[in-house]
Amino acid sequence: MTPETLTPPVPARQHLNASHRAPIAETLNLSKSYGADSATVSALRNVTLRLEAGSFTAIMGPSGSGKSTLMHIMAGLDDATSGTVALGGTDITRLDDRALTLLRRRRIGFVFQSFNLVPTLDVRQNILLPYELDGRRPDAAETARMLALVDSLGLTARLGHRPHELSGGQQQRVAIARALVTRPELVFADEPTGNLDSKTSRDVLGLLANASREHGQSIAMVTHDPIAASFADRIVFLADGRVVDDRGPSSAHEISRLMLDLEVAA
Amino acid sequence: MSAARPTAASPTTARPTAAQITAARPLREHTASILVAALSSAFGVSLLETVSVLTTAIAADDVTGASATVASLLPIAAVVFLSVAVYVGAVVTANSFQTIIAGRTRAIALRRLLGSEARTERASIVREGLLIGLAGSILGALGGTVVTVLLIGTCVGAGFLPDLPYAPLTPVVGLPVVAVALSTWAASWVGSRGVLAVTPIQAIAAALPSDQREAAGGPARAAVALALFLGGDILLAAGVFVGLGDPRGVLVALLGGIVSFLGVIVGANRVLPVILSAVGRLFGSGPTALVASRNAVRNPERSARSTVGLLIGVTLITTFAVATAGFQQMIRTAQAAQPEVYEGVDRMLVSTVVVFSALMGFSALIAAVGLVNTLSLSVLQRTRELGLLRALGFTRGQLRRMIVAESTALTLSAVVLGVALGTFYGWAGAQSLLGGIAGSPGLVAPTVPPGLVAALAVAAALLTLLASLAPARRATRVTPTVALAAA
Repeated sequence: MTPETLTPPVPARQHLNASHRAPIAETLNLSKSYGADSATVSALRNVTLRLEAGSFTAIMGPSGSGKSTLMHIMAGLDDATSGTVALGGTDITRLDDRALTLLRRRRIGFVFQSFNLVPTLDVRQNILLPYELDGRRPDAAETARMLALVDSLGLTARLGHRPHELSGGQQQRVAIARALVTRPELVFADEPTGNLDSKTSRDVLGLLANASREHGQSIAMVTHDPIAASFADRIVFLADGRVVDDRGPSSAHEISRLMLDLEVAA
Repeated sequence: MSAARPTAASPTTARPTAAQITAARPLREHTASILVAALSSAFGVSLLETVSVLTTAIAADDVTGASATVASLLPIAAVVFLSVAVYVGAVVTANSFQTIIAGRTRAIALRRLLGSEARTERASIVREGLLIGLAGSILGALGGTVVTVLLIGTCVGAGFLPDLPYAPLTPVVGLPVVAVALSTWAASWVGSRGVLAVTPIQAIAAALPSDQREAAGGPARAAVALALFLGGDILLAAGVFVGLGDPRGVLVALLGGIVSFLGVIVGANRVLPVILSAVGRLFGSGPTALVASRNAVRNPERSARSTVGLLIGVTLITTFAVATAGFQQMIRTAQAAQPEVYEGVDRMLVSTVVVFSALMGFSALIAAVGLVNTLSLSVLQRTRELGLLRALGFTRGQLRRMIVAESTALTLSAVVLGVALGTFYGWAGAQSLLGGIAGSPGLVAPTVPPGLVAALAVAAALLTLLASLAPARRATRVTPTVALAAA
């Protein structure tokens, strides 16, 4: 390890490339701490972040950097200690449980490390679950879009299969279809390649990048995998609950080096 | 990724995956609840039909001197036994639903995360409860009627009953059917309370064991439990007091017993883990005993759920045994004081005890069905935890010993607590019914038949072991890695 790699990370800067675009999500001085006064642990410290519409953002950082906490709070799954989160102009820190539930149902999509498909439902039913939870059937246009999506993900022949009959990569593609089917304002992907092999990972990441590039889908992906982050068009680095770097598309090598510096500095 | 063949979790794997073991299979999960509803309904329908037949027979028989008294006592006895069966069924079903929901936590959390409302999730479970209640009570009513008609035919054929045009199907038999359907529905509502506590984040936060998120309940719950228990005990005392002059005191005491035991159930998550853990420490300080003992306190709700099923059975049987012993003792004492009033009472005593034993045995059967179901479900739900212990170096044998230690602690705790409660309830029952009879000795001390307590302990231990060891074997059959991957 050269002394050069031990230099502290560059200070946080606003990512300029796409800042003229409308924000799809915005956090302002977001902080989160756990525990009582004497033994407080801060997971997030004054995080201010803008995610532009149509962007594919990777949120990176070492374990314990606060990246999962940030995602949970931005998705309305956890409370902030202070600060605000706006999603498409709505301040979600002020919403009650019902409003948050409707927000998740209609405006947010999720992709998880462990796929989280419903084992008793087949592929089609899993993909249409967001509509079912909304108490309605997809109309003709929505069905056509669903089928086109399924086709682009290579799942057409699998519509009648149950999750346990699919490979990991196929299951994750079903999860992506479920997340994209309602055209949510923002899709959160939590280590989406954590349970997949290298080749399958690249396929899944290519699909996410494509959804953003071709269809303007906003995606926020939490990951600690530099290869996964290299598919994003913006990478935000978190360390010790703070944003420490924010950059445009980078190669896996560059990202690896930055991550290593962060680990060493920690 | 063309993956024409499934690779991650091949369906052709010979060993079951953890997901297949723990996956929600609604019908299998609800079989016990349907059976409980059917048993309660069959019992209630059969009981009321029998009462109607006996009333007809007694009315036709002018010879029976005390026919009017017997005819008027029959409905009271029917109400008492019917209430007990419906109550036991409801408690057992609420308990089953709680257990099922604990097993579905992750699935519910996922649906919550994807945008389903908590009330919607609960409503869909309560709908399952209504269907179970309806299906069970109708099946039970049919079964109960068939059995009763066959029984009447046999009795008439054997000459025990006069050959009269009996009409067992009176409108009143609709009462238990409706009561069972409604109580099952209500039990599913009470038992699904836990759905509201499931947070969407539980679907992703894999590191958080879901069982630790089951809160032990706040001080409000403890206060409600205490109020119910004490309020019920006051009613029991009132029943005993009323019983010194009027046998209808037993109805007051019945209500008191129900309320008091409700308090025990509500407070079970505070009381039982402490008892279980203390009992568990009697098994030494080896790793299996230690983990078993800690498990009881670590998840108070689970410990309470598993133990309540056995507790209600033990309490019920003890209540009945103590009440019967008290009943016999009081009649005998009264007989000694005024032999002329109680001439020929001995035959009546024996037949009453036999009939009442059969009636109470039915409620005990309902409790046993619930106990076996709750215990086996909760062991299956622990696949992941057992897998972790296996990964840490526990052998299958050690895990089995751990489950045996837990079951033994559970049995001992339930037997000790159940015998104590049952002695009190049973004494109050006998006292409130017979405290005022001619030649009554007034208040007498409760009699606990020691043989029964021993038999009860053995039966309870066998049932608990049977209900937990078989699913434990199933849960440990998967490799530790597969078990750990289970949601």
